[in-house]
Amino acid sequence: MQRALKLLLLVLAVVLLPACAEPTPPSVIVWHHYRGKEQEALEKVARAFEAETGATVALLALPYDGYGAKLEAAIPRGNGPDVFLSPHERLGTYLANKLVTPAGGAFPDEDLARYEAASVDAITDGGTRWAVPLATKCVALYLATKYVQTPPETLEELLTAGRAAGKGVVPLAYEAHSAYFHAPFLHAYGGKLFDGKGFAMVGPEAERAAARVAELSRAHDIPEEPSGDLVKQMFTSGGAAAAISGPWLAADLPPEVRYTVVPLPRIDGAGRMRPYLTVDGAFLTPQGASKERARALVRYLGSDASAKVRAAEGKQVVANRAVWGEIDDPVLSAFHEAGTLAVPMPASVAMRATWVPAEQALRKILRGDATPAAALAEAKARYDDVMRPPPPPPSPVPVVLLMGVLLLAGAIFAVRRVREPSFRRELAASVPAYKYVAHAVVTVFVLVVLPLLAGTATSFFAGTRDEPRYVGLTHYIEILTARGQPLLSHGSFYLTLLVTVGWTLVNVVAHVGIGLVLGTILSRPLMRMRAVYRVLLVVPWAVPSYVTALAWKGMFHRQFGAVNAILAAVGVEPVSWFSQFSTAFTANVATNVWLGFPFMMVVVLGALTSIPKDVLEAAEVDGATRFQAFRLVTLPLLKPTLLPAVVLGSVWTFNMFNVVFLVSGGEPDGTTDILVSEAYRWAFARNAQYGYAAAYAVIIFGLLALASRVTSGVGKERGGAK
Amino acid sequence: MSRARTQRVESIAAHAVLLVAVIYALYPLLWVVSLALSPEGQSEPRAVPWPSSPSLDNFRAVTGWGDAARSWLFVRQLSNSLVVSLATAFTAVVIATPTAYALARWDFVGKNGGMRTLLMTQMFPGVASAVPLYLILDALHLLDTRSGLVLVYAATAVPFAIFQLRGAFLAIPVDLEEAAMVDGATRAQAFLKVALPAARPAIAVTSLFAFMSAWNEFILAATFLGRESAYTLPVVLQRYVGEYNTQWGAFAAGAIVVSVPVMALFYVAQRQLLSGLTAGGVKG
Amino acid sequence: MEEGVEPVAGNRPRQSSTASEDTPLPVPAPRSVRCEARGVKKAFGDNPILRGVDLDIPEGSFAVLVGPSGCGKSTLLRLVAGLETADEGTIHLAGRDVTELPPRDRDVAMVFQSYALYPHLTVRDNLAFGLKLRGTAESEISTRIKEASAMLGLDKLLDRLPKQLSGGQRQRVAMGRAIVRRPTIFLFDEPLSNLDAALRAEVRVEIRRLHDRLDATTLYVTHDQVEAMTLADTLWVLNGGRVEQKGAPLDVYERPASRFVATFLGSPQMNLLEGKLEREDGRFFAAGGGIRAIVDEDRFGDALEEGRAVSIGVRPHDLVLAKGEAPVVAELKVELIEALGFEAYAHGWLKSSGPTLIARLEADDARSVKAGVTVPLTAAPTSVHLFDPESGRSLAAS
Repeated sequence: MQRALKLLLLVLAVVLLPACAEPTPPSVIVWHHYRGKEQEALEKVARAFEAETGATVALLALPYDGYGAKLEAAIPRGNGPDVFLSPHERLGTYLANKLVTPAGGAFPDEDLARYEAASVDAITDGGTRWAVPLATKCVALYLATKYVQTPPETLEELLTAGRAAGKGVVPLAYEAHSAYFHAPFLHAYGGKLFDGKGFAMVGPEAERAAARVAELSRAHDIPEEPSGDLVKQMFTSGGAAAAISGPWLAADLPPEVRYTVVPLPRIDGAGRMRPYLTVDGAFLTPQGASKERARALVRYLGSDASAKVRAAEGKQVVANRAVWGEIDDPVLSAFHEAGTLAVPMPASVAMRATWVPAEQALRKILRGDATPAAALAEAKARYDDVMRPPPPPPSPVPVVLLMGVLLLAGAIFAVRRVREPSFRRELAASVPAYKYVAHAVVTVFVLVVLPLLAGTATSFFAGTRDEPRYVGLTHYIEILTARGQPLLSHGSFYLTLLVTVGWTLVNVVAHVGIGLVLGTILSRPLMRMRAVYRVLLVVPWAVPSYVTALAWKGMFHRQFGAVNAILAAVGVEPVSWFSQFSTAFTANVATNVWLGFPFMMVVVLGALTSIPKDVLEAAEVDGATRFQAFRLVTLPLLKPTLLPAVVLGSVWTFNMFNVVFLVSGGEPDGTTDILVSEAYRWAFARNAQYGYAAAYAVIIFGLLALASRVTSGVGKERGGAK
Repeated sequence: MSRARTQRVESIAAHAVLLVAVIYALYPLLWVVSLALSPEGQSEPRAVPWPSSPSLDNFRAVTGWGDAARSWLFVRQLSNSLVVSLATAFTAVVIATPTAYALARWDFVGKNGGMRTLLMTQMFPGVASAVPLYLILDALHLLDTRSGLVLVYAATAVPFAIFQLRGAFLAIPVDLEEAAMVDGATRAQAFLKVALPAARPAIAVTSLFAFMSAWNEFILAATFLGRESAYTLPVVLQRYVGEYNTQWGAFAAGAIVVSVPVMALFYVAQRQLLSGLTAGGVKG
Repeated sequence: MEEGVEPVAGNRPRQSSTASEDTPLPVPAPRSVRCEARGVKKAFGDNPILRGVDLDIPEGSFAVLVGPSGCGKSTLLRLVAGLETADEGTIHLAGRDVTELPPRDRDVAMVFQSYALYPHLTVRDNLAFGLKLRGTAESEISTRIKEASAMLGLDKLLDRLPKQLSGGQRQRVAMGRAIVRRPTIFLFDEPLSNLDAALRAEVRVEIRRLHDRLDATTLYVTHDQVEAMTLADTLWVLNGGRVEQKGAPLDVYERPASRFVATFLGSPQMNLLEGKLEREDGRFFAAGGGIRAIVDEDRFGDALEEGRAVSIGVRPHDLVLAKGEAPVVAELKVELIEALGFEAYAHGWLKSSGPTLIARLEADDARSVKAGVTVPLTAAPTSVHLFDPESGRSLAAS
């Protein structure tokens, strides 16, 4: 064993060391989130630039999730890239965090003519150009050649053609609940999502647009609960006559699917459906702005040569207008044309907080749960509530005083204790133990406790990370007073807490119950195929939960989910799982129980092996039935081993973000959100209110710590059961 | 009813319950497999998870089959994941074991406070600690190194590992170490040569947990690593989730590739898993 | 013991010894030492366990610490081993003060009640463990293992793991682990309590035989009085953290210094009755609770005083049917008879409401005496013990 250990150490040393050695630094570092063909084209352009200038360009492809967080963490510390690519809609965030510098020399006035005006608008803020526009993305109309040959002028024409395609074919597939996809309808009726100051999807225009979409849904002209993936599947398999989607759909369609792409049509009695336009820009970071080669690269990325490669090979709708004459790709051209009709997406930070309330309103309207007017008014109220500016900073003096007093008291207490001889004896006797724990104390303190303390500290601040504003306990007060609403009003802390407690209880009971049943059965003597069952039953534990949670979400789809298919097979009406609290909650629970029961089962199995058989035999001789023996003998004996697992399991379930976020996503209307997912929303979907989210986290922590106090007998019981 | 018959009926009932549980356990996974095997979408509602035209395209795409440079990159990323996860498991156990031992064997000043703090770290939702961790690693010059990532993973895994191992040490009779000390061992030798080997099943399970936590993590990895050749598999996998669309087939295929080693480990470590998870298992 | 040692059989058939021919006889420990403890006190928290104990075990002697649970005997053993540290007092081994030394520097070997076999090591490695730690040469290790395993009949088990052994086999491995060390002193902490009765009797004899063979100083803790009586050179009876009495086992048995020692040793327990001293015809009688017995004046001498309240103790073994001339000391109304084959015990009352009493019957008498009859009993004056009812001390001791 020792030899194996040494070998392992050696291998680790060999493998880990090279990672520390720095290779020669490249002249320009570029971060991007491109994949597939876009990525290949970008790499090709970078190589061309290297050949031309002799510079070296290092490209780093990042997952889209966490891209922004990484930029925000790395750039201010000087660890970021020189150049990064990003959709322009995040410009507001970048500016607030000082992650970007004006494009300046990379985008001189003489280049202005090169680019589509709309794309230049998009990357301009306050009269300054902040990036070089590379490509545009907007949605357009995909038509399945099989069903629709002539491009429809109006939505109504399209629907007529689509309905003629026959049973089982939806005239138009698109993500109706998404505000991004709803925007073309909104714009057609003259509505707006954001007016530069706040949420603007209210008023008669917005209501008419929403009503029109609700009508489509009721007439089954559009699919129920469509996800992007579902739209793709339907269009691919001939289940939809048309689809609203972006260029990414074209990249995913297999070659045998015949289709054309046209700009979105008009709506009868309203205007043209104009989608939002996003522009991928190449941004210079403060670090890159000082590098001539970085500036040169950014300029080069927008150049004709680059644009040609990106269009031809990356299938990008390039923002460079010079190359369009040479492109004979009908799909690209269609998107280019659609782009000229599109509305640049506002790039302010506030804009990003509109999506969730808008989407919640749309889902309600589509389900028929509320009238457009009511739903939209509610969305506006929610937006306003979220964006309510934090109150003026209170004086930090009381807190500083309090801290000082506490520190002083602590110091006096510590000194007193150290002076006590008995304590000093104890301390001296503890020294050998300290040798065993010192390294863990240091590691856990630096890498676990310190970050958590830092998190706690942010809960006293509002504003961006660069310019934090001290707000004292305001966040806590806001949370605990339900933001001035009735205590159990929608989305309030207390309601969410109730849901969370219920969620934890139901899950833990199910985990333990299933674990006990399966563990008991598996530990039966003479059980055949025990090993096989055991392995198969722990499989859910082995697969990453972010994947399986998404698989479960798919299974609960109203129209295409396996669960409804099974129900249909036994003659039960399909259930719209995510439209009611009870069913959505059930779906979450089903998923989480699935994820968690193997752990409990294994704990029970292990604990059962330590129960002596003769105790059970004694119970049997005493005349207990099997069930009585289980309840009166097995269960109490299992308790000491089971309890710590239950406590930990409860903590994990209480904070089980993945399942809630990925399966129901809080639907319907945020009612199935638990405290952690609510905290996450404050941090990432509501104007980046990290301080507010941190306050939530601290409160969650406090609740759990309190609960553990109540059950603190558990640890002792175990410690004493030697 | 005769005894034999009762047992027959019970046995059948037991198998029935287990079968239902197995179906519940495997059904969603079959969907993941089916998704991974489907080259394109599948939109009829159906209860049986089987792709209409199964193909291995997604697996080829994930592993870069046929493209030497890409498969080489994939192999490197796979080995990154292995190295990082193994190193995490090793480091976490090395850090946690002596501490767990001290907590199980001795009373010392600050013990209860320390244990409470450890439990509390488990209660703090971890969403918010990425940025402070970034700053700390930066200060330690460990950004963009596998060592830094390993250290962070290991530190995160340590509290749970300590609880796990402490339980195991509590279940080892003190007699064993005392016998060793009478036999001539120092306190440290008694720990290393007697208590440690006796706790092997629990150490195996704890390592497995630490390994899994590192093996599946992607947010910190994506934040800390700055070169594609240094990525771990979950980061690569996460790249299939895009801004507007997700490449489900490839994502599922990647998930399966990621899961296979863990399942293999589970299979190998089955017995330890049973005995190591509960303190009662280490008795001679 | 010239013929070599026959291996003890656990629960497998006894096999003829091969040890005598090809393995060298085990060398007795050359360094058996004196073990002393002076004024040792130890408390766990507020709970005093040892309240000042003096212990003195000469070289090569077999000392047994006996007492009820909680009397501090195991703690004393652990203090000698170095597993606990004394609050006060000193411990000397071979004249060396070891009070503050860790176990490994004391050169002691210990057999634990639970055997404490290292679960991850084979029998061979269990035996070699201590030697390896001390850097003993490989060849020496294997010689010693061969010796010890021959002595204990472990030859065939050397490559097994502890969990593959029976209880008796584990016990022998635990002893082997102590033997290979050739320590200056052996410590046994209730080593037989996990064995069944038959095996216990067998191993008990074996332990004494090993001691005689190895001639090492031995300190043995037990609560079993049979072990204590049969094994000890010197018996140390502990009670409540103090040494209640020490001496050769038979001396202690025959002349218990206190009511506690008297009742603790001997089975069935000594009959105890409250009474007082009476004088008649110039002789002292102890009378009370239905008994009236002549007292051995040589033994109690000055303590005898007419009218003095005493506790009267007579071992059941010494209380027998009065036949012929023998003076009747009591009349027993028999409640039940326990027949053991070679003798029998009669349980009953002396008075209708008095305490129960046990008396010995010859095997033949056991057939004639039935429950419900009243029989006369007699006891030799030398077998009558007197204790002070207040202090519990023997009147002979005062």
